[in-house]
Amino acid sequence: MLKFILKKLLAMIPMLLLISMIVYFGLQATGIDPINFLVSPDVLSANAANVEALRESLGLNDPLIVQYFRWLGNVVTGNLGYSFDGSSIAATIAVRLPYTFELAGWSLLLSAVIGVGIGIISAIRQNGIIDYVGRVLAVLGQAVPQFLVGIILIQIFAIKLGWFPSANRVSPGAANPLADAFFHLFLPVLTLTIGMVAVLMRYARNTMLDVLNSDYIKTARSKGIPEWKVYLKHGFRNAMKPVLVIILFRIPMLVGGSVVIESVFSYPGIGLTMTNAITSGDYPVVLITTLIIAAAMLVCSFMVDVLNALLDPRVRLGE
Amino acid sequence: MSVKKSGIKEQNKSASASLMKKNLRKFFNNKLAVVGLVVILVMVAACIVGALMHVDYNTPDLRNMKSAPSALHWFGTDTIGRDLFARVLYGGCYSILIGVFCAVASNIIGAALGAVAGYFGGKTDKIIVRISEVFQAFPQLVLVMMIVAIVNRRGLSNLLFIFVVTGWMTTFRMVRNEYLSLRGETYVKVCEAFGMSNSRIMFGQILPNVMTPIIVSTTTNVAFFILQEAALSFIGLGVADSTPTWGNILNAAKSVAVVTNQWWIWVFPGAAITLFVLAINFFGDGLRDVLDAKQQ
Repeated sequence: MLKFILKKLLAMIPMLLLISMIVYFGLQATGIDPINFLVSPDVLSANAANVEALRESLGLNDPLIVQYFRWLGNVVTGNLGYSFDGSSIAATIAVRLPYTFELAGWSLLLSAVIGVGIGIISAIRQNGIIDYVGRVLAVLGQAVPQFLVGIILIQIFAIKLGWFPSANRVSPGAANPLADAFFHLFLPVLTLTIGMVAVLMRYARNTMLDVLNSDYIKTARSKGIPEWKVYLKHGFRNAMKPVLVIILFRIPMLVGGSVVIESVFSYPGIGLTMTNAITSGDYPVVLITTLIIAAAMLVCSFMVDVLNALLDPRVRLGE
Repeated sequence: MSVKKSGIKEQNKSASASLMKKNLRKFFNNKLAVVGLVVILVMVAACIVGALMHVDYNTPDLRNMKSAPSALHWFGTDTIGRDLFARVLYGGCYSILIGVFCAVASNIIGAALGAVAGYFGGKTDKIIVRISEVFQAFPQLVLVMMIVAIVNRRGLSNLLFIFVVTGWMTTFRMVRNEYLSLRGETYVKVCEAFGMSNSRIMFGQILPNVMTPIIVSTTTNVAFFILQEAALSFIGLGVADSTPTWGNILNAAKSVAVVTNQWWIWVFPGAAITLFVLAINFFGDGLRDVLDAKQQ
C-alpha cells in the first residue's frame, strides 16, 4: 500500500512539470510583451536603446528555455513573481486562495450531506413525495446554468429581500468577522451546493436502491433486524463507498463551477483572479493560478486513487 | 443455394425492420422523451426561421432602450436598445450550432482515438491515455479558459476549436474500454484470421457494436457544450459580443443594475437555455432506454 501511494505521489511531479511547460510556452506564444506593462508607449518609442537595456537586464532576451527554468526555480523556492500591475503574486494568492477553499469546502460539505441525505431518503421511500420532488429538482438542477441560479438568488435574497450582500467576501469595518464571513459566503455556497446536490442526489439514490435490492438486505430483514438498523447499518454503510468516490470525483466540477460563481458574486477568490488575469492579459498571474488549480486537481485524483485502493484491493493488485 | 442465401437476407431485413418498429414504439411510449424531441424541433425551427427572415438583432432602437416586453418588442430590448426576441432567436442559432458541432466533432475524435487505443493496446494505448490524462488534470472550464488565454482572440471558430480539443476525453475513455473488451471476442479473431485490414476491423466490424453509447453521449454532450458556452460567455471569455449567443446575451446580467431593473434581459435567454438543455436531457434519456441493449 505504501509503495502504491509513493508511486502515485511521484507520478504527480512529471505531470505538474509538463503542465507548467505547456502553459508557460503557450502563454509566451501569445506575443504579449511584458515591457508594454512597464513602460508607457510614448516613452517606449523615444528611448529604444534604454528599453533594450531594460530588456537585457530583465532577462527577456534569453532563450525561452532559460527563462522557463529561471521562472521554475523561482516558483519552487517560493518566489511566485509579480503581476503586471506590480503587486506580488504570492501576497495576492495568500489572501485569495483561502477564500476559494472556504467557498469550495463548504459547498462540498453541504452538498455531500444534503445530496446523500435526500438520495438515501428517496431510495428508502421510493416513489414517495421526497423522491418525486428530489428527482424533479435533480433534473432541473442539471439543466439550469449555474450562474443563472446565482443571478436568481441575488435577485431574491440580495436585492428583493436584502438579507445578504450580492458581492465581495469581506465588508470593510465589519464588527464580527465570523458573521461577516457567513453573510458573504451564504449565497455563493448555496449556488454551488444546488448544482452539486442535483448530481449527488441521483447517484446516492441509485446506489442505495441497488444495495437495498441485494440479497443480504433481505437476509437481514428476515432475521428480524429492525428496519432503521437495516437501512443504517447494512444499507448505508455499503452504499457509502461508491458515493464517497463520486463525491471526490466531483471536485473538479466544483472548482470549474466556482470559477464562474466567483465571477457572478464578484467573490475575490482564485477563480476571479484567473478570469481577470485572462481578460487583461496578465500572464504571470494566469500561469500561477492555472498551476494551483492543476495541482489541486492532481491531489484530488490522487485521493480518489488511494481511496479506491483502500476500498477495493483488486485495484492495488492490478497496478 | 442462392435462394437460401437471399432468404436469410430477407429474414435479416424483416427482423431489423421489426426491431426498428419496436424501438420506435418504445420511444414514443416514453412521453418525456417525445416532449423533449418536440421542444427541440420547435426551438430549432424557430431559430432557423428567425435567421432566414433576417430578423434585425443588431440595430439599436434608440427610442426604446431597456424597454420592458411590449407588442413592439416581444421580449423587450437590452441595455443599448437591441430587440431581445431577435437576439434570442439568432443566439439560439449560434448556441445550438456550437453545441451540435462541438458534440459531433469531439465525439468523432474521442471515438477514433478510443478505437485506436483500445484496439492496438500496448504503447499506442499508453501514449494516448497519458495525453488524455494531461487534459483531464484540469476542470474542463479552466482548461478552456487557459487556451482562451493562449489563443488570445475571441471568435466563433476559436471557441469551436477549443471546445473540440478539450471535449473528447469522456467519449475516448468509454470507447476505449468497449474496444478493450470487444477485441477479445471471437468474431474479431475470425476477421483477423480472414486477413482483414486493421482499419476495416476497427471501423467496419467493431464500431457498429459501440455506436449506441456514442450516439447517446453525443446527444447529451450537445447540452453540455451549450451550458459550457453560456458559462464562458457569461464571464466574458466566450465569443465576441458582436455575435449573439444565449450566453452572450446573459453577459449583460453581470451588472447588478440589470439584474435588479431589467428582468427580461436575463429571464428570456436563461429560460431558452434551460428549456433546450432540459429537452435534450429528456430526449437523450429516452434514446438511451431504447438503444441500450443491456437494459432490454
